Amino acid sequence: MIFQLAWRNVLRNARRSLITIAAIAIGLAALLFLWGFNDGVHNSMMRNLQQAIIGSVQIHADGYFRHPKLSRDLPDVQRVEDLLIKLGVQQYTRRIRTFALAAGDDNSEGLVLLGVDPVREVRVTNLHTKVSRGRFVSPGDGNTCVLGATTARNLGLTLGDDLVLLAADRFGALAADRFTLVGIVESGEMGIDRGLVVVPLASLDAMLGMQGRMTDIIVQSPPDKLEALTAALKQGLNGQGDAHAYEILRWYDMYPMMKQWVDLENAFYYIFLGVVLLIVAAGVMNTVLMSTLERMHEFGIMLALGCGGWRLAALVGLESVLLGLAGSALGLVVGLSLVGIFHHLGIDLSSQMDSITRFYINPVIHPEIDTDHLLITLASVLLAALLASLVPAWRAARLQPVEAIHHV
Amino acid sequence: MALIEAVDIRKRYRSGEVEAQALNGVSLSVQAGAFTALAGPSGSGKTTLLNIIGTLDRPESGTLTVAGRDVLSLSAAERAAFRLSHIGFVFQAYNLIRVLTARENVAYVQQLQGVSAAERNAVADRLLAEVGLDGMGDRRPDQLSGGQQQRIAVARALATSPDIVLADEPTANLDSHTGESLMQLMQQLNETRGTTFLISSHDPLVLAHARQVVHLRDGLVQEDASA
Ligand SMILES: Nc1ncnc2c1ncn2[C@@H]1O[C@H](COP(=O)(O)OP(=O)(O)OP(=O)(O)O)[C@@H](O)[C@H]1O
Ligand SMILES: [Mg+2]
Repeated sequence: MIFQLAWRNVLRNARRSLITIAAIAIGLAALLFLWGFNDGVHNSMMRNLQQAIIGSVQIHADGYFRHPKLSRDLPDVQRVEDLLIKLGVQQYTRRIRTFALAAGDDNSEGLVLLGVDPVREVRVTNLHTKVSRGRFVSPGDGNTCVLGATTARNLGLTLGDDLVLLAADRFGALAADRFTLVGIVESGEMGIDRGLVVVPLASLDAMLGMQGRMTDIIVQSPPDKLEALTAALKQGLNGQGDAHAYEILRWYDMYPMMKQWVDLENAFYYIFLGVVLLIVAAGVMNTVLMSTLERMHEFGIMLALGCGGWRLAALVGLESVLLGLAGSALGLVVGLSLVGIFHHLGIDLSSQMDSITRFYINPVIHPEIDTDHLLITLASVLLAALLASLVPAWRAARLQPVEAIHHV
Repeated sequence: MALIEAVDIRKRYRSGEVEAQALNGVSLSVQAGAFTALAGPSGSGKTTLLNIIGTLDRPESGTLTVAGRDVLSLSAAERAAFRLSHIGFVFQAYNLIRVLTARENVAYVQQLQGVSAAERNAVADRLLAEVGLDGMGDRRPDQLSGGQQQRIAVARALATSPDIVLADEPTANLDSHTGESLMQLMQQLNETRGTTFLISSHDPLVLAHARQVVHLRDGLVQEDASA
């Protein structure tokens, strides 16, 4: 019945309650939509970074990331891949990575030399989709290569030209081979367009004398499974007393900048959330205070009849919780609908972006909202409504019956 | 022992610089089953005394026993519980909770006691019939006349079967005809149920119904008169 009483009191001044509910709903919906935009941009940025080339997780021999040497190859590629299969991972591929010198007609350029499995690489990364001229390396290729557009221009190479690559082999001896340029990548990302050459894994294995040895295993994982997967890999590869033979690195262990940037932006966003919550709380408090002032005499009657002060406080608190719940429910529906609608429609910002930004941020933003952001925002709005009722509830609890009845 | 035993009750109000001595050492004794009027001009201290007896307010000094309890020693929460089970209130006007129906208003006190909905609604309906409002249980206060609202307040005051009903000028907002029938109702309930009534008023109509009249003037009991 206290619930019934609270509910009827909310309906008692329906206009005022509706305004309050609407204010809460608009606040929540706006927050959710902004989160949606924010998370949409961030998630696509992080996805793009992982999918372009580096993957979500890389597995190397321990120490390889800081000091990449061919002699630091993966101790047991088969064991790693068996574990990945056991863990249900679908997207993974192997690579050989080293440094090479590319000799042009009248200049030379230092490059990252990447040997990729043409069949598996295209299932794991989308580097092949960034090929602007020619094609990606494909199965059955001999000595072919794909270059970044800037490097190709610097070396004065066009499709069909030959390129000589010089690199240290597995034993440190100088190795050289000739590769035909079959494709040019133009991604917008400097590290790819300038400074990268991709060749078929088999050709590179032969050139460097690797005999089936690999340096990298690249894994793609959905963000929500990333941490569990990393933990399982660490457990499975290093957990059995092999004294850290492997290093298992998440994308942000290797390239922390973007994650830090995202975390920083989210922190600003939480400050903004706090400001909006303050406004919501002030609005709710105002409504509840007004409605309690109007009912002072009635509160006095209730106290005289034997209703305890805390029971009265609970009634006042419950009324704001009801306002908060109604506002949050409405705001949740509106906010999630907005996110959903714009997720499908997309928000086209292509006119405001240059090519570098485009590599990270898709020009058409598809809002989406992370579950933790959704729950935190929803809980905060409800909490703000509850906190806003504390002052009026406290006053109700301490009300003197005689003074309250005196109010008319 | 009397149901209400007040000895040398003093109460002072202070608002800023101004001090008002509302009760100057009132002693009063009301027997169980009494139908007593508390008479006196405006400002004589009637409301103050009723509030103190009803544990809504506390005096500066004096002793007060209600239904065998030394009520001045009770904490605020204990007083609330005491009021709930021992005292019924009828105020001058606006007694009812606006969002509750007549039945719910009467049942409210039993709801505070944790009585089941079925039981308290049955009690409420019976009381509504007793105060002559049979079939009006679903009406909201704003759909009822002032006299009907006061009758509901009387019904509510009786819902927990209290020892005593304190009524502060219950007829002041009613026309004389309606006031008269409200007084008849309370008198009848006093006779049939044996509930003690202490009614403050300067309305001659009220005094005419009382079996005992206590006159207050300037915070002092003047005389004890039996009607
Ligand atoms: N809250 C208060 N603050 C200050 N003085 C008060 C307060 N309540 C009552 N008084 C004073 O105490 C005295 C007694 O007041 P009380 O209300 O008890 O009189 P009353 O007999 O009920 O009068 P009425 O017939 O007008 O209701 C008066 O002088 C009044 O001015
Ligand atoms: Mg009075």
